[in-house]
Amino acid sequence: MARKIRPPANSAEDDVNLTPMLDVVFILLIFFIVTAQFIREPGVDIERIEVNNKERQSPLGILVAIDSNSEIYMNKQVVSMAEVGFRIRELREDNPKGRLVVQADADAQAGVLIELMEIVNEIDGLGRVPLSVVNN
Amino acid sequence: MRGRTTRPADEANVDLTPMLDVVFILLIFFIVTSTFIQEEALGAEPPPPPSDSPPPPNPAIIVYVDESDQIRVNNRLTDISAVRGGMERARAENPESALIIQAHPQARTGTIIEVRDIAYDAQMERVNIVRSAG
Repeated sequence: MARKIRPPANSAEDDVNLTPMLDVVFILLIFFIVTAQFIREPGVDIERIEVNNKERQSPLGILVAIDSNSEIYMNKQVVSMAEVGFRIRELREDNPKGRLVVQADADAQAGVLIELMEIVNEIDGLGRVPLSVVNN
Repeated sequence: MRGRTTRPADEANVDLTPMLDVVFILLIFFIVTSTFIQEEALGAEPPPPPSDSPPPPNPAIIVYVDESDQIRVNNRLTDISAVRGGMERARAENPESALIIQAHPQARTGTIIEVRDIAYDAQMERVNIVRSAG
């Protein structure tokens, strides 16, 4: 009611001050940019196993996959067994803290998996190599 | 310079709306493109390095998975559902014994992970996964 009586404000004063909102949006944006962890996905779909004893891996860092033909994939490329260690060290430089998880297909050959686990253990010295399982 | 008329303060405000649009679009882009990968994993022990691999002091429990995914617990052919029973029986005989999961290189990875999971269920300590020679 009181508005009607008030003299019409000139158009410049009608503008809402957007600066605080812009500040907030910027802070959100910067937060997302900074916290974004760029994980290079292996890019293959694997068949996982359902198990009872699993642990969430966080923060996630490096993913190495073995597909059903027992080929090793990292960063959407096939990687030979001889090269895997080098590639893992390379990704470690970008992401020193992230956990390394091996995504092994259920149909892959165990020999390849065990050899890969040896290499991972040599580099990361984990003692236990995390193998990806069904996530619920 | 001196001739310029001073404008009212209101008109000096920059119009921030287009910039806000751009920033919003960037924000939404980052929210949408960020995929939140989550992984749950089972810890599996790699074979011990060859340099310091003293033979296990006690007769270890050996679970052997051959190339056709048949499981043998201490050389006795066992179904996957009976592996836990076999492990526990072997442990009851030799409580200190370690568990060695021996996989033929052509065995299925899935079977190895299942056996390792069973070993966790059975609360086996000192587990190792190794490759058999042949």
